[in-house]
Amino acid sequence: METIATFPTDVAPPVAVMTEANSSDRGKSGLVERAAAGDVEAFEELYRANVGRVYALCLRMAGDPTLAEELAQEAFVRAWQKLGSFRGASAFSTWLHRVTVNVVLGHRRSTIRREARVRPLGDDLPRDVAGREAGTAESIDLERAISSLPDGARKVFVLHDVEGFRHQEVSHVMGIAVGTSKAQLHRARKLLRKALTS
Amino acid sequence: MKCLDFTSRIDEYLDDQLRPENAEAFRNHLARCPTCAEEADAVEGLRRRAARLPQSLDPPQDLWPEIATRIAAERVVRGRFGRRALMAAAAVALIAGSVVTAYLVGRSQVGTTVENRQIIENDPSEIVLASFQELGVADYLVTRSGLFGALEVRSGDLSPETLEVLMTNLKVIDDAMEKIAEALEEEPDNEFLMKQLAAAYRRQINLLETAVQLPAEV
Ligand SMILES: [Zn+2]
Repeated sequence: METIATFPTDVAPPVAVMTEANSSDRGKSGLVERAAAGDVEAFEELYRANVGRVYALCLRMAGDPTLAEELAQEAFVRAWQKLGSFRGASAFSTWLHRVTVNVVLGHRRSTIRREARVRPLGDDLPRDVAGREAGTAESIDLERAISSLPDGARKVFVLHDVEGFRHQEVSHVMGIAVGTSKAQLHRARKLLRKALTS
Repeated sequence: MKCLDFTSRIDEYLDDQLRPENAEAFRNHLARCPTCAEEADAVEGLRRRAARLPQSLDPPQDLWPEIATRIAAERVVRGRFGRRALMAAAAVALIAGSVVTAYLVGRSQVGTTVENRQIIENDPSEIVLASFQELGVADYLVTRSGLFGALEVRSGDLSPETLEVLMTNLKVIDDAMEKIAEALEEEPDNEFLMKQLAAAYRRQINLLETAVQLPAEV
């Protein structure tokens, strides 16, 4: 009996193509090698250089600050575990971004959700964002509107319009049809426009 | 071109992904249809705004201490897996006695040492069932119960020795699954643990199926 054949040991689908390598990675290949060899301090430097980007992605995709923190932590732990498989074909930040997307999309299977999901997205998101130099009034409104989107629509919107994925790629990483990706994006934009004009 | 086509291909248009003739048709439609022209403006504006969002946002608190703790915990044990995961793997590997061997030995020594043995079906714990659910194996309990039921029917045909080895091995696998499931609670995405759970599952189902098919020995 081969019931076991479909056992999901491959957790999340790989991201097809990632845009945008961080040029500041170039001088950091030494860090990546040291971290891969088990050097925690080197890995901490990589964490410091990348945490903002990872957290932003988690926050926008998860729509929940508490959950976003846990997902970001998980992404770094996963990156640490998988550093050995990082081949340096892409920039480290690009690779980490892909790991993060997989962690966020795979988190339904994890226990994180059970505890962290209780807290709805309250007014603390704008405050978090406002605390940063980068948070203009315009971006705060948009961040807030994104966080209030339904889960699927939000993830598609963030991947497509914020992260620059094409529908093909969104479809691939999320395991949905291209048509579904388009429909979700359309829905997200409609809801966002409504939220932003009201 | 219809308005509907327009909406569904607007991103290809904005990304310059349309073939020249389609892009031309797109522009013509834009010039004639105020609704779509407005839609295109709005989508383009929203896309531009989204693309301008800061790439980086600082988390409200430093996430490193927790990450460092988790990494350190992994480093304690050689390799990438926690102590519990290694114990779980060891537990599965411990399943030593073969039920077929017991069957063959038992046949030659019917009724010598072991007292009558019963088939006892222990219910798997919630945590084990939850792990199987998380991994997409929805029919574990049904498969297991079905095989136990079939075994119950056959139990009169098997020697006490065979049943003894069988029940001991089933218990070892149950306990291993318990350990793996507990470890999975803590590390839900640990692929190594998922594979261990899959291995334990395969062994248990194989064991039950083998036992059900053994020819009568008593
Ligand atoms: Zn139109």
